[in-house]
Amino acid sequence: MRWLPGQTTLIVKVRQGSRQAANAGVIGEDVVTTFLLIMHGLMAVALLGGLTHQAVAVLWPARSPGGFTSAYRAVSAARFTNANITFYVITFMLGAVIYPPYRIAVRTWIERARLWHISGLFEYKEQALAIGLAMLPFFWLVWRNPKDEATAGARKWTTAILCVIVWYSFIAGHIVNNVRGLFGQ
Amino acid sequence: MNVTKVFGLFAAVFAIAYTIAFEWHWELFSYHPRTGEFGWGQQASKGGPVMHWYGAIATGFLAALAVSAAALPFTKTRNLPLWLGWAVPLACIIAWGWLLRAFFLR
Repeated sequence: MRWLPGQTTLIVKVRQGSRQAANAGVIGEDVVTTFLLIMHGLMAVALLGGLTHQAVAVLWPARSPGGFTSAYRAVSAARFTNANITFYVITFMLGAVIYPPYRIAVRTWIERARLWHISGLFEYKEQALAIGLAMLPFFWLVWRNPKDEATAGARKWTTAILCVIVWYSFIAGHIVNNVRGLFGQ
Repeated sequence: MNVTKVFGLFAAVFAIAYTIAFEWHWELFSYHPRTGEFGWGQQASKGGPVMHWYGAIATGFLAALAVSAAALPFTKTRNLPLWLGWAVPLACIIAWGWLLRAFFLR
């Protein structure tokens, strides 16, 4: 009879231990997800800056050197191509990695809160970004020779479309990221 | 053969195939994030959310790869129109606004 309480205590201790280990695992996963989310955001900022620079330079080229806006537009747009492609792919991959935690923890909450328009913002973001990802080889192609007049129109359109996709996704991602803080009261 | 000549076609076919895959449930696979399981095609829920995004991208990628590879011999003698690479993806992005309208009209 004496071993039963002891065994029970042991079982309780084992259960407490496994619960603590499980909690530690969850906390560890949360830390990793948060870290990746921050990296995703930082990469998106870099991409946003580079792509906006490139888009402005090709759509609104500077005619003469002057103030801040002219200097902003006077950059060599072609030099941003490889960096923007790299940032896009890295940002996309990080987003794809942190998508499952979002799907489980955030989107279910958004749906329960019936914030359909917020969920729709994210849905549109994921579709636009996937289509944008497949445009990257073409984006690289039209920027390979920036002096080629035959590709000038395609260059402007492709850059503008990708720039709009990235701006939209950045804003939508930011809203979704803050949704509980913004609308969860 | 110059592979770069089909980059525009790749973007166009991906955009169309991805959109169709998502709308008609032709995802190559589904993912159950709660259990970490993958399954071929469109899968029903197993007590948690199901993700079709990865599978739709895979379908779009395979379709774009197949069509681009098939079109490659034809690019020896003629160039594909450049607008394929931006106009078709743009049209699909606009179409997605229509397809997702229910989220914003509830």
